[in-house]
Amino acid sequence: MRVDYHDLVGVVSLSGEFDLVQVHALRDRLLGAVRNEDHGLVIDLSEASYIDSVGVSLLFELAERLEERQLRLAVVIPEDGLVDRVLRIVDIGSVATVHLNVDAALADLG
Amino acid sequence: VSDRVAADQLRDLQRITDAALAYLPLEGLLQELLLRVVAILNVDTSAILLLEDDEATLVPRAAKGLEEEVERGIRIPVGRGFAGRIAATRQPVQIRDLSKAEVVNPILREKGLHSMLGVPLLVEGAVVGVLHVGTLTERIFNDDETELLQSAGDRAALAIYSRLTERERGLADSLQRSLMPRLPELPAVSMAGRYLPAAAARLGGDWYDAFQLPDGRLGLAIGDVVGHGFHAAAIMGQLRSGLRAYALDGMAPGEVLSKLSRLLRQLEPGRTATVVYVVLDAHGGRLIIASAGHPPPLVQTGEDASYLDIPPSVPLGASRHVIYDDLVLEHTPGSALVLYTDGLLERPGEPLDEGLERLRSVVTEGEEDLEHLGDRVIDVLLPEGPGEDDAALLAVRALPLGDELQARFPAEIESIPGMRRLLGRWLFEVRATRPEIDDLTLAAAEAAANAIEHAYGLAPGLVELRASVSKDGTVTVLVRDFGSWRSPRGANRGRGMMLMEGLTDGVQVIRRDEGTTVELSRKLGVAAAA
Repeated sequence: MRVDYHDLVGVVSLSGEFDLVQVHALRDRLLGAVRNEDHGLVIDLSEASYIDSVGVSLLFELAERLEERQLRLAVVIPEDGLVDRVLRIVDIGSVATVHLNVDAALADLG
Repeated sequence: VSDRVAADQLRDLQRITDAALAYLPLEGLLQELLLRVVAILNVDTSAILLLEDDEATLVPRAAKGLEEEVERGIRIPVGRGFAGRIAATRQPVQIRDLSKAEVVNPILREKGLHSMLGVPLLVEGAVVGVLHVGTLTERIFNDDETELLQSAGDRAALAIYSRLTERERGLADSLQRSLMPRLPELPAVSMAGRYLPAAAARLGGDWYDAFQLPDGRLGLAIGDVVGHGFHAAAIMGQLRSGLRAYALDGMAPGEVLSKLSRLLRQLEPGRTATVVYVVLDAHGGRLIIASAGHPPPLVQTGEDASYLDIPPSVPLGASRHVIYDDLVLEHTPGSALVLYTDGLLERPGEPLDEGLERLRSVVTEGEEDLEHLGDRVIDVLLPEGPGEDDAALLAVRALPLGDELQARFPAEIESIPGMRRLLGRWLFEVRATRPEIDDLTLAAAEAAANAIEHAYGLAPGLVELRASVSKDGTVTVLVRDFGSWRSPRGANRGRGMMLMEGLTDGVQVIRRDEGTTVELSRKLGVAAAA
């Protein structure tokens, strides 16, 4: 997991397999990546090859927490992979905007 | 009279190295030796110091009347003080009045020693230690006494030396053995490892390792630290741990070796090692490999064996800014992968190519059982036993899984990645596409997570995985637990069920008294129902 900040938006990049074993280790770091002054967060899954229901639930939890603080969540998803199929099934679009690359996500949150 | 005394003394001395002593452990032998020296020379103290591996420090190993010297772990630099001077000059040294001499070891003064005599312990002209005696009253040791102590020292040196080499051999053996891994047991993967120490029982720097990665794939490594002796072996142990640590962190092979090279340069500048590290991704029918100057692994498929075509690379530690690349190669299910070190190939005065060809031709014989293959390779390549160099071999075969898959796993979250990999391997064999493999393994992982979280509570249990494919290409995956059903709770599990349904054509949950079975089905060759 890597975190970069673009002005007031954090970009968290997750690579490899975002499964239930990884999620336990990543949860606090992911939730902690949001700074007080930020107005949005981008989760970049371009390099992620796998995400299961536990990973999905963490994204939903994150969206809920951000919403409570009136912050927005954008998700970058690679086209046509397993991650794309999974996030469509659970309708991630109901809690986050979905983009094909980080620049588009930043433009949306900016 | 003096002739008789001399004869008696010599006879006493003989006893120092007589056969009975040969059976004492080193510490006992030294103690016995000192007792006799004290008696023969009629002195108050006596001590033996041995030279450390660094050849710059003397450490007391046994003492009579100076026991504190051993207990306090005093270290005396060669060249300094009484014993240090004996070791540096390789000559006997006598001190008539200790109060006027340079002494490093405070215990000599604390004990109130007045006069001392010491001789070097020499083996083939090289110092291995120092033997010294002391008296509480003034004493002038004459030439005969000096010669007597020297001759006791000479005999002792030989005994100590052979005992040390023996001890070193024992240590070498157990150290090396303890560093060879217990091979992991994975469903339908067979593995065999061999390690042969060098003929002279010198410690070597070869190792092999095999471990399951957190994502369920198999990591395999073999390496050879240049050099011999304790030091090379110690470096080997550190590299082995380093490689595992980087690998378990999820790094790709090339990155693991790049980091390992940096680690080696830090541990010991100038030392080099060759390593090959392979991640066997049976799931995708491929292997990911990086090599640092190591001879190429061999792959045996059916009646054919060939060396992997990997580009040349530099050994670890040889270059400051080296980056090792990953190479992804096809790997047919059922093929054996054979990793080895050059100790297996080398024969004096023979080009390496001949050794490579010899190994290839043995492996071509197509021995199915890898334990037998290991024995056969050693028999043919090292017919006269261990060579000048140590040698290691690691062979691995991911067996074809057949038409029907069945496996059981401990009902723990940590089992899930391995379970996914196994199902992925099987799906690959029945010619599922990459998206089909991804979807079905994820759906099965969700079913297994359900079973683990809801069937057993905290008690240990098992989860069974079965898979089969019908004539029309419909895959059925069964995930079964043997616990009592408790409805999935929370958003997680709700989404788990949603994913199972979305990624397959059908999900059925069959609850029985003896456990719950989740049945997932999907027809290959058409897009998922979602």
